[in-house]
Amino acid sequence: MSQPTEAIYPRSQRSGDLSAIRPQPDSLADVLERVLDKGIVIAGDIRVNLLDIELLTVKIRLLVASVDKAAEIGIDWWKHDPSLSSSARDEVLEENERLRRRIEALESES
Amino acid sequence: MSARTGRYLYAVARGITSNDLTGVTGLRDRPVRGVDHQGLTAVISDVDLDEFGTEGLRRNLEDLDWLEEVARTHHAVVRAVAALAPAAPLRLATIYVDDDALRNRLDEWRDALLRALDRIEGRMEWSVKAFAPADEPEPSPPDATAGEGAGAAYLRRRKAAVERQRAAGDESAALADHLHLELSRHAAASRRLAPQDRKLSGHEGTMTLNGAYLVATADVEEFLATARELDRSHPEARINLQGPWPPYSFATLEDP
Repeated sequence: MSQPTEAIYPRSQRSGDLSAIRPQPDSLADVLERVLDKGIVIAGDIRVNLLDIELLTVKIRLLVASVDKAAEIGIDWWKHDPSLSSSARDEVLEENERLRRRIEALESES
Repeated sequence: MSARTGRYLYAVARGITSNDLTGVTGLRDRPVRGVDHQGLTAVISDVDLDEFGTEGLRRNLEDLDWLEEVARTHHAVVRAVAALAPAAPLRLATIYVDDDALRNRLDEWRDALLRALDRIEGRMEWSVKAFAPADEPEPSPPDATAGEGAGAAYLRRRKAAVERQRAAGDESAALADHLHLELSRHAAASRRLAPQDRKLSGHEGTMTLNGAYLVATADVEEFLATARELDRSHPEARINLQGPWPPYSFATLEDP
């Protein structure tokens, strides 16, 4: 199916990408980008917030440019991830400090 | 409950009849049909609400394989319709309980849909992406047994590499702006989409441009010639052209 377009648009010597007008099926990234993020939004009767779903939000986040936009549409899982969130990190640091003091206290008793 | 079906809406088109959709297959191999309403045709197929109801969707959307299959079928139907007539693609998983509910919604959005169809009639979407080459590898850290000064030399190499990368980044960003500007001259409308994550797209290098261009049929040759010329004159970037797509990025309900 690519032959006719190949003939009209000879492959570029360097990459070949530009002239490959329709050589392969649309990539999943391209399809998801369009059917999930573009297209007309009209409320249906089945109310499912596409962005409400955990695994999917991770995948969609790959498509979303900025953290601000992600937060705006409700994707904020990293806020609850201790390795990513500063408030969670503060808690861990406080806990460390508490434990360190306790060890010191125990060691000085012995 | 198990036998209940809903209407999955793929696109809203103008100027087709249900007959034109004969032979188009939708989700789960069900036939696609048109619901005509006041000059608009809603392109739908029936879906089981076990699979596509609130609970089913919540469960199934967690499954990337399920999502891929549904997304690709949705896209295939939209592509088939857009080849026939001006068509505004719907976002994935827009489902109504019956034809009446669907007609009510079409009534509500009729004017906005007609305006969207006016904008995209006789035009298709083209995608142009540009990629900067992958970053150069990090310099290897100093050998612990090397003499004094190895650490300082390493830091110098690393600093130079960072500087080169920053300069290269500025250049490829400027090139992306230039490509977008030139391509937009031959487009009725254009948008820059967010660069895709390579975990999903698998591309190499850095995606510096993910452009969508709404091009009139009459201007396609000129647009493609421009893209080819830009590709030729900028060997420093890898340029990828795809299309025509149905006008997903431009058939919007609000004026862009």
